[in-house]
Amino acid sequence: MMTLAGFITGMAFGFLLQKARVIRYDKQLGALRLMDMTIVKFMLSTVIVGMVGVYLLHDLGLAELRFKPTVLGGNIIGGILFGIGWGLIGYCPATSVAAFGEGRTDALWGFLGMVTGAGLYAEAYPLMNRTVLTWGDLGMVTIPQLLGVNHWAVIVLFAAAGIFLFRWFERKGL
Amino acid sequence: MEEQEPKGWSPYLAGGLAGLLLVCSVFLSGNYFGASTTFVRVAGTIEKVFVPDRVAQSEYFTRFAPAIDWQWMFVAGVFFGSLISAATSRSFRLQTVPHTWRERFGPSATKRGLVAYAGGTIAMFGARLADG
Repeated sequence: MMTLAGFITGMAFGFLLQKARVIRYDKQLGALRLMDMTIVKFMLSTVIVGMVGVYLLHDLGLAELRFKPTVLGGNIIGGILFGIGWGLIGYCPATSVAAFGEGRTDALWGFLGMVTGAGLYAEAYPLMNRTVLTWGDLGMVTIPQLLGVNHWAVIVLFAAAGIFLFRWFERKGL
Repeated sequence: MEEQEPKGWSPYLAGGLAGLLLVCSVFLSGNYFGASTTFVRVAGTIEKVFVPDRVAQSEYFTRFAPAIDWQWMFVAGVFFGSLISAATSRSFRLQTVPHTWRERFGPSATKRGLVAYAGGTIAMFGARLADG
């Protein structure tokens, strides 16, 4: 039952990704080269709506927040590696699957690479756990906690900044 | 010349709807969206065929066991959702080399495939290291 819900949710998400035409290599590279902001518009819209909705549910006691520990070593080095890889493949994990769904066969090679990368990471994990993952371990923190402010202050500011950015994209025709 | 495909939805609309979908998922089942953990489970599933002992002893594959869970089905759903959307809107295209890649690096499918494979490997290693 639970897994069926996952399948249906995934279908709806894949449907929306394809409708917005955000799963293409050309669009993803367009964003990385700061020439076409379509995927940034999609992602930031999702984040803003998700942020407001999830925190609303949380404040009403209807949902649990789930976040991961901040480990600067892992976040920064992993983020840089992800960026280099993303620039080469031109798909991120979920979009590689979606891109293959709309017929882009190069995404299948990317998918296989990602499975390989996951296997390699499983091999490297004990070493990473002793080294990189001990560097700058801040534990479970959120931005509102770090700033010592109410979470709605951060949400409102973030949403306002997002909308400002959207207006700027439209003015520049990005 | 390729058949002109219909214009897609506004990214603000589709992205906003994806946000609502996430909120509904969190409300109904407590599940947030993700994909990269599924790649770990798939890698473990494949490795289990060849080196079952190694997988059984692996700290990482113990944490993320080779099994089908909510996120695994979510990722499978993404494939079918995209396929359905593309097939019903005349925007499905079998394409081995993306347009902008072809313009810059030529039409070789092997070259594109190798770089996509290498990029995928590096990107996923980084994604797991960043715990994302």
